[in-house]
Amino acid sequence: MNKVRLIIGLAIVTVAIVAASVLLYILPLDVRDHSPVQPLRFSHKLHAGDNGIHCLFCHSYALKSPAAGIPSMEECRACHLFISPNAPEIKKLMKYWEKREPIPWVRVYSLPDFVYFPHMMHVRAKLPCAACHGEVATMERITRSASLKMGWCLNCHQKHKASIDCWTCHK
Amino acid sequence: MEKMTSQYRWGMVVDLDRCTGCGACVVACQAENNVAICGKKEISEGRNMHWLRIERFWVGKYPDVRARFLPVLCQHCQDAPCEPVCPVYASYHNPDGLNGQVYNRCVGTRYCGNNCPYAVRVFNFYNHEWPKPLDNQLSPDMTVRTRGVMEKCTFCVQRIRRAKEDAKSENRAIRDGEIQPACAQTCPTDALVFGNMADPRSRVAILSRSPRRFRLLEHLGTHPSIYYLKGGGREHV
Repeated sequence: MNKVRLIIGLAIVTVAIVAASVLLYILPLDVRDHSPVQPLRFSHKLHAGDNGIHCLFCHSYALKSPAAGIPSMEECRACHLFISPNAPEIKKLMKYWEKREPIPWVRVYSLPDFVYFPHMMHVRAKLPCAACHGEVATMERITRSASLKMGWCLNCHQKHKASIDCWTCHK
Repeated sequence: MEKMTSQYRWGMVVDLDRCTGCGACVVACQAENNVAICGKKEISEGRNMHWLRIERFWVGKYPDVRARFLPVLCQHCQDAPCEPVCPVYASYHNPDGLNGQVYNRCVGTRYCGNNCPYAVRVFNFYNHEWPKPLDNQLSPDMTVRTRGVMEKCTFCVQRIRRAKEDAKSENRAIRDGEIQPACAQTCPTDALVFGNMADPRSRVAILSRSPRRFRLLEHLGTHPSIYYLKGGGREHV
């Protein structure tokens, strides 16, 4: 009798462990917000899509530095002094300017500290921005479209015969 | 033994005749690579952090005693004892002949550190903090290593990476002397020379053919990438 109980108990424990591991494997562990609410309702669809402004016009550092950067408020203001200066979101922008405060944008694409990602090398390799950032020109609010996992990076690196040495990206 | 998949094989020459033991390289390394600052407690436990140390030897008999110095950093062995013992491949060999350490992969078994005959790997026994305002000098090009991770000299791989990017965008090879690790850059007597060993005309390759050359613990067959030039010409050693 005891033996049977022991066997049943062990079987239950084993099944529980297997189920837990399967669940852990299936569950999406990346629970970060893919499309966080931004302080200003900046529309990439309007700027990059309808008006056809090139990504590098505002994110100009992507050409020459590891970080693509966000444009300075001065750059936003330079255009919007003349283009629809009375829209409510533009007025919000001007308030930040008058308060001499940076706009607290919420970061959507973030990499861990131990990863080195140079934007300029990817731009120079003629990789389109949309390859990682998705069709930004159709997005009202930026949504992260890539998993940013190492396997995702490596797939592309292998396909394009880029370096897959650990120290190329890990620091 | 060696697999050459790259046109570079980084190496270093340390001229012991030039080394004055000033320790500038040690400080430069610490500043460049976010190497933790350790207090009395950790040092007394033998757990202080350094990627580069200067060993001091006393030579001769009183009154003719001289101090001799030996800067010891990761030798970037071509047959590295640290690599095959890592169970998670955090310690690996890079195509450029560098002995890599991937911090986010390291699980802290310390096998590599125990197997290193040069004792140049250091383990983060504690989480380290940089008291203000020292945290402002942390380099964004390097990870701040957490507790439980083994770390070591990388030949300032962030500088190598940057030079490679510059060279690639100008479609050329890296020039001799273009890369200087922090220690070599700081050395006031130019005792440390870094360069591409695979190029026989590079400064480091020419120096490494000097008759004064030797490598640390050469009999172990680790084939280090660092050549030392024997010093003490005026001494009776």
